[in-house]
Parts: sequence; C-alpha cells; structure tokens
Amino acid sequence: MSLAAEAFVSQIAAAEPWPQNATLYQPLRGNQVLMLSSVPQAYLRMCGLPVRVCCRANAEYMSPSGKVPFIHVGNQVVSELGPIVQFTKAKGHSLSDGLDDVQRAEMKAYMELVNNMLLTAELYIQWCDDTTASEITRQRYSSPYSWPLNHILAYQKQWEVRRKMNAIGWAGKGLEQVYEDVSQCCQALSQRLGTQPFFFNKQPTELDALVFGHLFTILTTRLTTDELSERIKSCSNLLSFCRRIEQTYFEEDKDSQSAGSQYSRGPSLF
Amino acid sequence: MAAPMQLYCWKGDYGLPSVDIDCLTVLAYAKFAGAPLKVHKLTNPWRSPTGILPTLQTRGEGSVSQPSKIIIHLRKQKYNADYDLSAKEGADTLAFVSLLEEKLLPALIYTLWIDSKNYVDVTRRWYAENVPFPLNFVLPNRMHAQRLGRLQLVREDPALEPGEQLEQELYQEALECMTLLSQRLGSQKFFFGDSPSALDAYVFGHLAPLLKIKLPNRKLQQYLSSLENLQLFCTNILALYFPSEIQAPVHTAPTQADGGDMDHEPHKRWNQVMSVLFAMGAMLGYAILTGIITIKSAHPHLQESRHDDVDEEGEEED
Repeated sequence: MSLAAEAFVSQIAAAEPWPQNATLYQPLRGNQVLMLSSVPQAYLRMCGLPVRVCCRANAEYMSPSGKVPFIHVGNQVVSELGPIVQFTKAKGHSLSDGLDDVQRAEMKAYMELVNNMLLTAELYIQWCDDTTASEITRQRYSSPYSWPLNHILAYQKQWEVRRKMNAIGWAGKGLEQVYEDVSQCCQALSQRLGTQPFFFNKQPTELDALVFGHLFTILTTRLTTDELSERIKSCSNLLSFCRRIEQTYFEEDKDSQSAGSQYSRGPSLF
Repeated sequence: MAAPMQLYCWKGDYGLPSVDIDCLTVLAYAKFAGAPLKVHKLTNPWRSPTGILPTLQTRGEGSVSQPSKIIIHLRKQKYNADYDLSAKEGADTLAFVSLLEEKLLPALIYTLWIDSKNYVDVTRRWYAENVPFPLNFVLPNRMHAQRLGRLQLVREDPALEPGEQLEQELYQEALECMTLLSQRLGSQKFFFGDSPSALDAYVFGHLAPLLKIKLPNRKLQQYLSSLENLQLFCTNILALYFPSEIQAPVHTAPTQADGGDMDHEPHKRWNQVMSVLFAMGAMLGYAILTGIITIKSAHPHLQESRHDDVDEEGEEED
C-alpha cells in the first residue's frame, strides 16, 4: 500500500470500533498447499478480536494485493500481516506497545528473518522442487478449476515463483541447502525464545503470531517427505510453543461445531 | 605455508576499499577475523575465477562467490569473528542481516542504480570510466537492467519504473531500518560489545557507500546523516581497519567538478577525433562506390563504365 493510502486507511479505521462481523478470507482448504491463514488469525485472537473464517476459491483474486489471507472489516479490506497490524493499531488494539526501542528493533528483525527464510523456503519447496511440485502443489493449486485452465494457472504460478527465486539467488540452492537454512532459522528462533513462554516474555506480540502461523502450517501440512517438520520438531521449545498457543487461543473452536467456523474441521498438532 | 587465499573484488574509490556493497562486507569481515588474504582489486569481473565479484579463491576447494558463503568458508578455516558471541547474539545476527537485506538493500540499489540522476551522473560514469574497453559500453547497462529486473520481481510489479512514489516507499522502509539499527547500536562501539563481528561487517558494507559516495539526489544520505551513531560507527571502522584508503581518495567533493571534467577531456577529444575520421571515411567510401568521385586507374574499360556514371551524377552536382 502506498503511504497516502495507508494514512487514509488508518484515519478511517480509527473512526469505528471493531465490528462483530469481521471476516477472514482464505482459499479452499484442500486447495492451498501451505496455508498461512493461521498468521493473521493468531494475531487477531491474541488481540482478543473476534473474526470469522470463510473459505473461497477465488480468495487470491479478491485480495487487494493478491496475497491471501485477507480480512474484511466494516467496509475495508486489508491483506498481509503488516497492514493488518497497522489497521488494528489504528483501532486501538496493539500487542507491541509495551516493548522498548531495542526490543522493537529485535522484533522487526526477527519478523524479517522469518519472512526472508521460512517463507522463501516454503515457496521453494512447494514450487521449485520437482517431486513436490508435480505430485502435490500443482494438483492442489489447480483443483478448483476445469481443464485447461488448471494446467495453465498452475504452470504460470510455478514459472513466476521460479523467476523470483532466480532473482533473489535461491535458484542455485539445492533442497538440502534449503533444509539447512530452515534448520538454521529454527535454531535462531529457538535460541531467542529460550525458556520463555513468548518471545518477549509474558506478552504475545506479532512476532509470536507470525512464528506460530508459519510453524503450525509446516507441521500440519503433508508434503512428500517429513524432513521439514522433523527439523522443526528437533527444536523442542518451538514445538511446545506452538502447542501452547494452539491450546490457549484456538482451543474453544475445537468444541464448537458451528458452520461459520472452518477451523474446527482443520488439522491440529495433537 | 600453503598459498594464501585470494579474494577478487571491485576496486575502491571515494575513500572506500571497494565500491561494491558485497565486496565491502567481505573485506570488513576478513579484517575483523584477521584472515590473511591476498586481495586483487579488479575492474573487470570477467577476470575473477567465477565471473562475479566478490569471489574467494580457496586453497584447493575451488571458488566461492556470495558474501554469506565466503564468510562461512572463512569460519571453517578458523577465521571467525563471531567466536565470542553467545548463541542468542548469533541468532540476532541472522535476524538483523535479514532486516538489512529486506529493508535497506532495495533502497540502496534504487539510490545507486535506478534513480535516474544518480545512475547517470555517478554510478554509470564511475563504471564506464573504470571498466576496461570494450566492456565499459556493455557492463553498466547490463548491471542496471539486472538490478531493475530484480527489484521488479521482488515487488511483484513487472511495470515498475523509477518514480516519486516508489522512491518514497523504499526510502521510508530504509529510514525505519536505519533507525532500528541505530537504536540497537546505541552508544556502543560495535553491535555486540567491544570487538566487531559479522553483523558489523554487513552493516558497514551497506552503510559505507551511502556515507562516502557523493550523490546528486541526497535524500537517503540525509537520512543517514541524521543518525550520528551509525556515521561514527562507519568512520570508526574505516579509520581502524582501512587507514590506507582514507589517505588516497580519488573523487572528493571539492575537486569533483573539475576532476570529472578533466577526466573526461582525453576521452572526449579522442571520441571527437575518432567520430570525425569515421564519418569522413564513410562519406569517402560512399562517394567512391557510387561514382561521384572516380579513381583514375590504368584499365581503360573500367574508365569508360565509370564515365557513364559520372555523367548521370554530373547533373546533380551542377
């Protein structure tokens, strides 16, 4: 979002309180290989803001920036974690107010680390690794469409992702190297977490939401091998971190079988 | 003793050991870790073993080329500037390097390569002057296209063009990143106490060009100059680890106006002479081929056919 648009959105956001019918849109469950709906969901739950989850096949096209998932609040549509955090801040809910400057710097840095390493590694494994791409990713990505659109869209997406990998220098990396990078990233996160309940001691912040979202997605999605989840599970404090957040913030959904909540039929770590 | 490792990197200028960000990072880390390297300062990337700069040629294991890989290799050879860091500080290093690459690097590339005034006046001029013929016609444009393409892909906008809005967005993120770095550094000498580490090398590599290279469009540099501790950090490292570079700057602000013109003079004169000669040669060749000018040769039958042509053309001339 451009700066002027951001300022405008913040102004409008500040005008009204959080409505009850806020909705989070994500692609169909069986469709997206590695869903990241957990990230904004976790963040909103940590803020204590109610949100319904809706699955739509064309969620990618509905989103203002093309990224899923996105939220629809009042008469505004916001996608990606950064803008969502700013949006909720404008409405007066923020998780990182209690941090001092040095801690905020660290939080931003670790969020970039997760985006840089984990997100890119996820994309690489889904689209640049031939076995995974052909057996799992392309099938799932193209499932809601009919022939020949499914083939065209799948190959187009694959080509786009490969070009991006080329541009940032990941094309030359082998799969082993990518797994190594993920391990390194997990170890760094594990070091930072230590024995604390959250990354910045007692209170959860957007970093916790981001890490939870990514790790949860990786742990609960079936890929050709379990290598990636094994690497994460080797950091035991990260595993217990994920379990703890799932228990604390997503537990109530397990009991309720309401039609609006898609999460109750979803995967879990237990 | 085995032959020392050899590092190939871009030549230095403006008081810096190298003008390229990655090369600066590697050079700084090597100094911090005390690695004995034979440094080759090049202006022609084709002369390096892998075709890209920086490249480290190791003893017996081939060549390594990206800064992160070079640093890993140096660590394996026991030249480790991060030996004293705790595990948490190591994790912080990884995180802050990601922050640099995501937030600061795009703005740096924009200000040096994509912003029209800066690119034409400073960057392209430097590379065109320093890279040997005939590569200097090809390389700057190729590097420019490569960087523009990368920026377009990373921001997922194939129609990205340099402009006011893009510049503002990138510089805003860069300012945020630099402020965060400044807050993390505080009043310490280096990021993790009294001795420098890999993170210091990365931050130095990214900020030093911004500090030293004088650009016409100075917005990003002004942001940096408002953060005094980062400025002090860079000048400190330059004074401590690269003292020889500071004494011999080639392009400094007061003399740059004259210096630039003076450097251009020989090239300009040579270009003018060459172009005039080429034009005259082309016109002469055309004239001879079409018969406006004839060459009196000893063969009579050739002369006759030429005379016909001259008659036809004669009307135009008169």
